[in-house]
Amino acid sequence: MRAAALALALFGLAFGAGGEARAQEASTEAAPARALDDAALRAACFDLLGRPPLEAERTAWLGRGRHEFLDHWLSQCETWSHWVEEQLYFFLLIDNFRPENERVEELPALLATEKLDVRTAIHRIALSPSFDQRNPGADTFVTVVMEQLNGLRVQKNVRELEVGKGMYDGRPGMFFGKSGSTQADLLRIAIDDRSFVQQLVAREYRRIVRTEPDKAELALNVRRFQRDPAVFRALLREWMLSVAWDARVRSRTNAPNRIWIEALYVDLLGRQPLPEESRRLRTALDGLSDTGPLRSVLARVLIDSGQVKLPDKAEIEDPTQWIAGLFTRLLGRVPSTEELRTFVTVFHEPECRPHTVLYALVTHPEYQTY
Amino acid sequence: MPHNPDRSLERVSSFASDRRAFVLGAAAGALALPALGRGSLLAAQERKTKHVVLVAFAGGVRTRETFGAPSNVPTLEALAKEGVLYKRVKSSNLGHFGAALSIFTGISEARGIRENARGGDPTLFEYVRKDAGLRASDVWISTSGGAQQTNFSYGLHPDYGARYGANTVDGDGLFNAEFKSILDAWGRPKALPAKEAELLGRLRGAIGGGSAGSVEDSARIEKYILDELTSGTADIRGANAADAKAIRVARNLLVLFKPKLVSIVLQQADAAHGSYNGYVEIVRRNDEALGELWRAVRADQELRDSTAFVILPEFGRDADLNSRRGLDHGDGSNDLEYVTATCWGPDFARNRIVEDDVQAIDVCPTVCELLGASATKARGKRLPKLFA
Repeated sequence: MRAAALALALFGLAFGAGGEARAQEASTEAAPARALDDAALRAACFDLLGRPPLEAERTAWLGRGRHEFLDHWLSQCETWSHWVEEQLYFFLLIDNFRPENERVEELPALLATEKLDVRTAIHRIALSPSFDQRNPGADTFVTVVMEQLNGLRVQKNVRELEVGKGMYDGRPGMFFGKSGSTQADLLRIAIDDRSFVQQLVAREYRRIVRTEPDKAELALNVRRFQRDPAVFRALLREWMLSVAWDARVRSRTNAPNRIWIEALYVDLLGRQPLPEESRRLRTALDGLSDTGPLRSVLARVLIDSGQVKLPDKAEIEDPTQWIAGLFTRLLGRVPSTEELRTFVTVFHEPECRPHTVLYALVTHPEYQTY
Repeated sequence: MPHNPDRSLERVSSFASDRRAFVLGAAAGALALPALGRGSLLAAQERKTKHVVLVAFAGGVRTRETFGAPSNVPTLEALAKEGVLYKRVKSSNLGHFGAALSIFTGISEARGIRENARGGDPTLFEYVRKDAGLRASDVWISTSGGAQQTNFSYGLHPDYGARYGANTVDGDGLFNAEFKSILDAWGRPKALPAKEAELLGRLRGAIGGGSAGSVEDSARIEKYILDELTSGTADIRGANAADAKAIRVARNLLVLFKPKLVSIVLQQADAAHGSYNGYVEIVRRNDEALGELWRAVRADQELRDSTAFVILPEFGRDADLNSRRGLDHGDGSNDLEYVTATCWGPDFARNRIVEDDVQAIDVCPTVCELLGASATKARGKRLPKLFA
């Protein structure tokens, strides 16, 4: 009893104020709480929301349990809005090909409230006129369906491709062992097929955990998904509570342009970019194989615009603390002793402004990782 | 892929290539090359060709609308009359991405047509940079197809890869009017006083124990981008706007920086799926834009007698119109699988028509040889009957 009470007390301490109440929430099934530090919080926000935490969110979530964070955000529209965006990007349904119809626009809300599952959501995306326009003609359309929905190489599945092309043109045929005679039949069959689930679960695992899924675990999760596609939310939760995800937090990778843009706006301006701002910047950055120089230009453009709130140098009473705070907020880590020593030394040079410190951090390659 | 902070620094620093330093570097590099690479380099040094413009006239373009209707492509016609025309270039219907990638790797690449990832084989950019010791600033690729086409710049082969990749600029991405409007709204970055710039370099260099990036070099690339944004490239309009911007970017790069290899990847002819007439119009306009590029090369004293052009589509299109009066690509016909390649340059034969079958994957080893490199992994062969 005493041990149990001690454990409960420690559990409560880990949560901070209100922790006990939250620990008893029925929705929380994960075992030991993993308290969110800056690195984990930033990574979790990137993975679920496609952006770093806003300052108020950072204050609210630091030190609280990761499972609690997941319980909250997995039922939020913003999470599923980001998920839909990732899917659109995967299908390259961006810019002029972005679906602009109600059935796609309502997806985040329906997914957040579990009125729709992810399989149906992708089916809707594939049925949108934009998907058809993006992939015009029988050969292109069926190839994209087989490659992107089912994860198959058409060169190794020539018969299936030919049958699919016929079905696209209105001829009856057996595609993946099922009969159909229209473009809509083709999509329905492709999305009902096990290969679709296999492809979706594997690529989503790779997106979140950044490693290849274990084969046995993948097979199990595919079976779970086939029994009930609504399990996808639980899968996301399990992946982000796993040891493998802990490793993902430590191994940073270059942030895609769309993520980097979100990060820059949130970190510097305290707000997300408007969709149009994001699209324009992303289009420009996507056109470069090495985006580093242009990212630096854009970061400096924002800082020099006068809209980034920075204290006057004289107002910074404790430069060490201020600089360390920037490191944790922007890079998700504390600075090393050597980094801190150099930054503080340089900060005391008369020509160094707070802007100079910010330039250095947000134009550095490390800031471009997540 | 693990992030390599040095990569961007390498790109930035190499952008500011000093011509004399390059010549000295290349000479020194040649001594360190393996025997095979040295032989290629020495042979290349004896040729007049010092710059190559490789154009993937892509998006799926049939010969019927080019050399089958010469009034559509007066520039290609003129180039062919002064150069070599390959009438039967076998391509592969591997989707636009895979087929265009095949031109650069010399290997038929089975890639997903919406696959947004790099291939496993080295590209000609990597061969040229590694074998001939070229710097990143000497090898560029200008595209019109957005994010996917940046994958052409290098592959993931362990012996090559990012450190030998080309600089990629997507004309319609970087130089679109909307992006320019954002910069106009936010304002331009302010130039830093020398002392503050030096302090910034120290701070950046301290992070993660990395090396300091050259603020001066960053400023050069920054200046190029900002200058291009105000030079009119962003204002190009019309059915082939993205392709035209890619060609304009290549033209400016060639004239300003005189790189060794500039590749251009076009894409908009794929509008053919929905409109035959629209497709023909794009072919015409792209030919016109290539004419401007050719004229710019001929007007430049250094480039005019030392630059070669190689131009070919990645594949053709179906023989017959679809139900939308457009042209798809999937019927396996000769119209789809055979395209025409045009080669023009100081070392090439003049007014020669080659009727023999060649392959699109032959372009990679040919360009490599011209620039003194060996495409050792490529499966193509040097184009026959090319040289005078």
